[in-house]
Amino acid sequence: MGASAKRKKEKQQDFQKPKLKVGKARAKPENFTDTSFRSKSIVLNQQSLQLSAPSSNSVFAHHLSLLTSKTDSQRRDSLAHLTTSIASRPVNSPLPQPVSVMLPSLLPLLLDASNAVRTQLIKLLRTLPRSDIQDHVLQLLPYVRAGMTHLAPDIRVTAVEILSWLVDAAGEQVVSCAGGWIKTLNCFLSVLGWHTEESARWSSTRASFGKSGSKGRPMVKVLGALAEFLEAGIGEPGANTDANGDQNGDGPSSAWPFPLCQTEHHMISESAAPYAYLNLFGQPRDEEGEMYETREDRYRVFSTRFLPSIDRGLKAAREEGGEMGRASSGVTKVLKGAMTYGPGP
Amino acid sequence: MVKRKLGALEKVEADLPNLQHKIRRDPKSYIEDFRAQHYQYESHREIFMAAPTSATDTGIISLRDLIDFISHVADCYPEILKDFPQQLIDMLMQHHQVLEPELREKLVGSLTLLKKKDLVDSATLLHTLFPILISTPSKTLRALLFTKILSELRTANSKTTNHKLNRTMQTVLFNLVTSDRTSSKALWAIKITRELWKRQIWTDAKAVEIMKEASLSENEKVIIGGVRFFLGGDKEREEMEDEDSDEDIDVGRIRHQLGINKKTKKKARAAEKAVSAHKKKEKKKNQPHALNFSALHLLHDPQGFAEKLFAKHLQNSRSKLNLEQKLMVLQLVSRLVGLHKLHIMSLYSYFQKFLTPRQPSVTSFLASLAQASHDLVPPDVLEPLIQKIANEFVSEASAGEVATAGLNAIREICVRQPLAMNETLLQDLVMYKKSKDKGVMMASKGLLSLYRDVGASMLKKRDRGKEAAMGLRSGDKEQRRFGQQDIGGIEGLELLENWKEEERRRKRRDKGLPSDGEDDDDDEGDDWDAWNVEDDEDSDDSGEWINVQDDADISISDSEDEDRPSKKAKQEDEKAKATAEEAKKDAEASKESAFSKLATTRILTPADLAKLAELRAEASVDAAVNGNKRRPAPTASSRHNDDPLTAEEIEGLAALSAAKQTREERIAHAKEGKLDRSEHKSKEAKRRERKVEQGKSSTNKEKARKKNFMMTLGKARSKNKRSLVETRAVLKAHHDRKKRGGKRGNMGN
Repeated sequence: MGASAKRKKEKQQDFQKPKLKVGKARAKPENFTDTSFRSKSIVLNQQSLQLSAPSSNSVFAHHLSLLTSKTDSQRRDSLAHLTTSIASRPVNSPLPQPVSVMLPSLLPLLLDASNAVRTQLIKLLRTLPRSDIQDHVLQLLPYVRAGMTHLAPDIRVTAVEILSWLVDAAGEQVVSCAGGWIKTLNCFLSVLGWHTEESARWSSTRASFGKSGSKGRPMVKVLGALAEFLEAGIGEPGANTDANGDQNGDGPSSAWPFPLCQTEHHMISESAAPYAYLNLFGQPRDEEGEMYETREDRYRVFSTRFLPSIDRGLKAAREEGGEMGRASSGVTKVLKGAMTYGPGP
Repeated sequence: MVKRKLGALEKVEADLPNLQHKIRRDPKSYIEDFRAQHYQYESHREIFMAAPTSATDTGIISLRDLIDFISHVADCYPEILKDFPQQLIDMLMQHHQVLEPELREKLVGSLTLLKKKDLVDSATLLHTLFPILISTPSKTLRALLFTKILSELRTANSKTTNHKLNRTMQTVLFNLVTSDRTSSKALWAIKITRELWKRQIWTDAKAVEIMKEASLSENEKVIIGGVRFFLGGDKEREEMEDEDSDEDIDVGRIRHQLGINKKTKKKARAAEKAVSAHKKKEKKKNQPHALNFSALHLLHDPQGFAEKLFAKHLQNSRSKLNLEQKLMVLQLVSRLVGLHKLHIMSLYSYFQKFLTPRQPSVTSFLASLAQASHDLVPPDVLEPLIQKIANEFVSEASAGEVATAGLNAIREICVRQPLAMNETLLQDLVMYKKSKDKGVMMASKGLLSLYRDVGASMLKKRDRGKEAAMGLRSGDKEQRRFGQQDIGGIEGLELLENWKEEERRRKRRDKGLPSDGEDDDDDEGDDWDAWNVEDDEDSDDSGEWINVQDDADISISDSEDEDRPSKKAKQEDEKAKATAEEAKKDAEASKESAFSKLATTRILTPADLAKLAELRAEASVDAAVNGNKRRPAPTASSRHNDDPLTAEEIEGLAALSAAKQTREERIAHAKEGKLDRSEHKSKEAKRRERKVEQGKSSTNKEKARKKNFMMTLGKARSKNKRSLVETRAVLKAHHDRKKRGGKRGNMGN
């Protein structure tokens, strides 16, 4: 009853006449707006004074800057715009922005929470020219590795996909750059859960953390990527790389005339960072972060550190059968080829 | 319904805290997941190291989260993570200037966490944190590091004093202070040392040495930091100690509450903690009090220090200190001079030019001068100063406050060196006791009473008073010569001697022997038994232990007289007779000659010392009750040697002489004595408050009184309509209930 009385009073108040007092200003109405302020000018925060439409280059740069936006859809749309503008540029014309400028803002998106953004990112990366990618493998790989061991399974799958693309685009650089061989293999083992003997067995009740992710068959994809990676790293030389064919120097395809032999070794190297192995400006590297440039080195490291656990894991996967077993047979094939070739000629 | 918004973490379940929780419960099963996260950390670290300046919170998991996660579970996988602490240290040391603040704080926090888990030792931690503390430009980081360093040092010293760590840290601080004397970085050394001194973690001479070097530096802030420490560090320490002992835990109350309130594990734990803290405190109380020397006493070479301070900061015309800071340095120098009785002759001539009433804060100068005088200062050095004070301050024309300050200063100087006064001046000054101004009158009387005590012959005859005049006539009150010292002794020793004598007599009387006889053996044997105070006390409950001592008659003393306890009874008769005569004569002769024979002829046992303290206390109480009702003059003996003389004391009763206080000032003055009187309230209200404070609830009566009126209405209405039978039933029920003692009854059936 108290509440209704109060309400009644409130209702009545609207119809009551305000009391006027002598010598006092009249009471202001409730909806009074104070308009007494003055200003010399009004500043609008954002205004565009350009008459002409922005050039495609500036739009590209703008979208590049939007990649750090907070909203998922904005990032995805910007990526899509970048993809189309790269893909639709005239053949043999340079990129709107160099890869070295684009990568720093693209790479963090590899660990983005949104699935759509990451799929769009893969699309964008595929449009980039391969030759440009080869020089930036060293920058890319840490992000890929971080993605492979991420807690979120979807991000792991994306990272594996990107790795397989990277191996396809620049296999030699991936396996031979600093930390590219041991660290990446470690990540593979960790994704597959093959590190220790107990955890590799199919019957083991390994407590696994996190859900399996929305995309199915993640393990199959990982095994496929592993096969490609191993092929690039310790596969039989000459089987897929025809550049190795003219290493003996006296082959018929040699670019140098007869009296000169093995001359290209004495010329300035054509790769982007020929003296990277000296590590003049970086942190001191340990065994894991070292560069393993030749197949021989890689094979030695692989056979001592990884072969047993990978063998064990493959066996378990084969026993499991099904799709997993089929995928494992691909890795087994690559491994067999490498073993028959041995440590090298 | 609106669709619930999903956070990024929910979508992907990248839940590190969850994983951390699971790992802590079962590290073995989750080793693969941990390894994955470790690789992740490694790759993030690689990304970070390639470009430390760029933002690191990319994606949903940042390097910060990973570091936090790994350091929390670091103790579960020690061999995977053996490089981890070093990596964190490198990251922090190399990039602390460019790191984003949150990551930086996380690194510091993780390192301390690793220290807690014993994966880093405290020396390494301190060697990492300290250089950053003094080099970083960020204020928040400095504050954080400072607290971390302090807490680290405190925990390292919590169980036992970690001498090694303390020594290395002190050396680092010392080097910091001495390496670059112009930089203000030494302030950190001062801050740390002062804080640890306050908490009684560092109480040794090395810490004082750091401060000594600081006060001799070139930077004003550092100088003042060091000087302040010497002037106030010990007081701060005492206050801290008092504060610690203040907070008392009422164990009984906690137990009671535990019985009443809901029982939860948390509360049980809290109670346990409180009880253990209480026990610890009790134990601490019983421990012997640690001897803590004040910083001024721990100084090496105080003469050199005082001279350097004086020459560098006060005499040097190029020193950049302002007046206030100079006063502080002067205060320190004069305290050192007074305390250690040093000789810096140029100090007194330095004072000369400041002794005018126009000088700002002249009372502080006067106080310092008084502090700097002691009985080994040549009187002819002080005399011109006193003359100047008298000329400048004390005259009929000068204001009351000025004259009061002058007279007080003169008295304080003369307390310490009575010979500095000449007769004519004294007689002049004493005349001011007739002054109308109360402050001047009191100050002058103070001077008079002082000289009645120390140099009555200098006063006019009618000023001497009865006691002094009689003393002069009998020759007791001779004026002390320059450099003459009291013969040292143990305070109250004669009381102890008297008491011993009494005891001996009483014992002999009990045995039926002449009470003046000599039985040294007996007495001494008792003493050896009562070597320790504790033995005396717990002889009842540890019966067997004492028995052994009694049966075997083990003598702990030197083997002068092995046979004494066992043969005592046989020997006693002849010996007593033979020595009785001699002893009588001896006692008579020795009475005047040596009061302190007790101290020179035997070792005072702890039991003796305890008795001595007791007797001393008794005597002082006795003197306060029965003795002279007149207030003793505030002489040098009544104040502790360590206490400083302040400007307020010099100003003295100037407040009284002013008589121009405002009403507010008078009220404040009246309130000064009455400490925190609480608000005026009724007794009932006070009781209620106390109850609420103690967590007790109200009584049934109170509840009935407070009950909402509307709720009681129904019952009251129905009561009117009750039939006779109903009323009877109700009354009967009430009667029964009363008999039973309440609804449930408390008969215990």
